[in-house]
Amino acid sequence: MDFLIGWLAIIPSYATPLLLASLGLIICERAGVLNLGAEGLMAVGAMTGAIIVLSGGNPWAALGGGAVAAAALALLFGLATVVKRADHTLSGLAIVAIGLGMTGVLGRPYVQKTFPGIETLGDLFGIDRGTVFGRIVAVQDPVTIALPLVVFALWWWLQKTRSGLRLTAVGENPAAADVAGIDIQLTQLAAVLASGVLCGLAGAYLSVATSHVWVEGMVAARGWVAIALVIFARWNPARALLGALLFGAADALVPRLQAIGADFPVYLTMTAPYILTLGVLVLSSLRGKTSGEPGFLGRVYLRQDKH
Amino acid sequence: MFDAAFLVRRQAPGLLLSGACYAGGLFVGLAVSAFLLVQAGVPAGALVDEFLVATFLTSDGLSQTLTAALPLVLVGLASAVAMRVRFWNIGIEGQLWLGAVAATWVALGGIGPEPLRLPLMLVLGAVVGAAWIALPLWLKLKWGVNEVISTLLLGSIAFLLVQHLLFGVWRDPATNFPVTAAFPEASRFAATGWGQLHYGFLLVGAVTAALWYLLDYTRVGFYADAVGHNIKTARAAGLPVGATITGLVLLSGALSGLAGVTIIAGTEHRLSQVVGNGYLFSAIVVAYLARAKPVWVLVVALALGAVFTAGNVLKVFYSISEGMIVLVQGTVLISILMAQFFSTYALSRPS
Repeated sequence: MDFLIGWLAIIPSYATPLLLASLGLIICERAGVLNLGAEGLMAVGAMTGAIIVLSGGNPWAALGGGAVAAAALALLFGLATVVKRADHTLSGLAIVAIGLGMTGVLGRPYVQKTFPGIETLGDLFGIDRGTVFGRIVAVQDPVTIALPLVVFALWWWLQKTRSGLRLTAVGENPAAADVAGIDIQLTQLAAVLASGVLCGLAGAYLSVATSHVWVEGMVAARGWVAIALVIFARWNPARALLGALLFGAADALVPRLQAIGADFPVYLTMTAPYILTLGVLVLSSLRGKTSGEPGFLGRVYLRQDKH
Repeated sequence: MFDAAFLVRRQAPGLLLSGACYAGGLFVGLAVSAFLLVQAGVPAGALVDEFLVATFLTSDGLSQTLTAALPLVLVGLASAVAMRVRFWNIGIEGQLWLGAVAATWVALGGIGPEPLRLPLMLVLGAVVGAAWIALPLWLKLKWGVNEVISTLLLGSIAFLLVQHLLFGVWRDPATNFPVTAAFPEASRFAATGWGQLHYGFLLVGAVTAALWYLLDYTRVGFYADAVGHNIKTARAAGLPVGATITGLVLLSGALSGLAGVTIIAGTEHRLSQVVGNGYLFSAIVVAYLARAKPVWVLVVALALGAVFTAGNVLKVFYSISEGMIVLVQGTVLISILMAQFFSTYALSRPS
C-alpha cells in the first residue's frame, strides 16, 4: 500500500515533462514540421532554468527563462527547415547536437549544485500529509495541476478555432492551405517556436521542479520518448495526456522499487519504457492511414512544386 | 511571407555553385564554433595551435588524430551505406555498444584458440551489430515502422544492457568500478609503436577500400543509388529493391559493431560506460559531410579525429567539457544544411 501511494504520488512529476514536450511537438508536427530536436531543446531549457535559480532568480522566472532559451534554439531550427528548406531529420539531429553540446560547455560551472525549486501544493496550502489523499496531493506542484487545463485548451484550439484548423491544414496539405491564403512559412515558424517554448518548459521543469539540480545529460532521452509519445497519441493532445501518464508510471517504477530496497535488475527494468514505446510504434504503424499522421509531415513545401 | 519572392528548384546545380555553398557553409560553421570556443574561455591565439598544429603537424598529435579517426571512419561508413538507400540509422551507438559487448564476451571468456581470438571478436562484433539493426529493418520493410525512432530506442536499450553487465557480472573485481578487467594480449590489436596507433588501421583501410569498390564499381552501388533516388522507379524497373536495402542496412549495423570492437580492442582494452559515447552524431556528420562517399568519409573522419584530439586537450588545459566536440559538429552540420539552400534553389520574380 505504502509502495502504491508513493508511486502514485510521483507519477505526475515524471509525466509532466513528457507531456509538455509532446504537446509542443504535436503543435509543430500538426504544421508539417518534423521536430527531432526535442532532446536538445529540453537540455537547453533545463540548463537555463538551473542557471537562473542559481543566480538568485525566482523559480517561476527560471521556467520562463528556460522556455525563452529553448525557443531561441528552435528559431534556428525554424530558420533551417522552414525558411531554408533544409532536411527536417538532419536539422533536428543538428539541434540535438547543438543543445547537448552547448549545455555541456556553458553549464560546466553549474553542475551538481542544488537549489530550491517550485513550492508544492503542500507548502502553498498547508495540506495535511496524514491522509492518503494528502500524501498524494501535497507533493504536486501548480504546473502539474494546471496541465489538464492546458491539454483541454490546446485540444479546443486545434479542433474548434479557425487558427487551430489553419495550423492543421498547413500540415495536411500546404498547397491547398496556400491557395486559401494561409501564410505557410509564418504558420510553420510560429508552430516551431511553440514547440521550442514547450520543450524548454519541459526541460526547465526537470531541473527546477523535479530534481532541484542540474547535471549534464539529465534529460536522459526524455525528448526522444516525447517524440514517440506523439505517435502514440495520434497527434491528439488528450491522448498525449493519457500516454504521458502511462510512460510516467513506467519511468517512476524504478526509483520507487529502489526506494523500498527491492532486489531487481535495475538496468533491465529501465528498458521497460523503451520497449513499451517500440511496441506502441509498431501498433500505430499497423493502424496505417488512421494513425493520424499529418499528411505532409517532414516534407519540404515549395509553392512551385506539384504536390 | 517568404514566398513573395518565388523560389525555384534548380534543375542541375553546377559543381562550382554547390562547391561554393558547401565551402561557405563549412566556413561559417567553423567560424561560429571558433567564436563559441573563445566565449567559453579558450584564448583565440590557442585555437590554431590546438586544432591544427597539435593535431596534424606534430608526430604525437598526428598519431593521436589517426587513432581517433579509426572508429570514426567505420561509423561514418555505417551511416553512409544506410543513407545511400535512405534508411536513417540513428541506432549506430547501440550497434556499436553490442558489437563491443560481443567482443568483450570473447575476450574475457577466452573463447577459441588464441591466434583466432581477435578475428573471432571482429566477426562476432559485426554479426551482433547487424543483428541489432535487423529488427528495425524488418519492421520498416514489413509494416513501414519509422526507423528513426525504432533504431534510436534500440540504441537506448543496448546502452542499458551494457550498464546491466558492467554493474553486474563484468564489474572489475580488482577495483569494483563498473569497467571490465583488462583484456589479455591476444584480444588486442598490436601496437605500431607510433603513439597510440594500432594495427587496426589496416582493417579500417581495407574496409574503406572494399566499400569504395562495392559502391562505385559494382551493381550493388548502382542499385543502391537507384533505390536512394527514387524507390518507386527502382521497383518499376525490376531492380531488387528489398534485397539492396536489406544488404546495405545490415552492412551498416555490421560496420557499427566493428567500430565498437575497434575501440575496445585497439585503444581501451576494456569495456567501460564511456567508450561508445558521442559516435552517433559523429557518424551522421561524417556521412553527410562526405556525401555518403567512402573516400570522402576517410577525409572527413580524419578532420573530425583532429577535433576529438583537440577536444581532449581543451578538456585538460582549459577545462572545456567534451560537449564541445558535439557542439562543433552540430554547428557545422546545420550551417552546411542551411548553405545548401543557395545551390538547391534560385530566386525568381513572381510573374
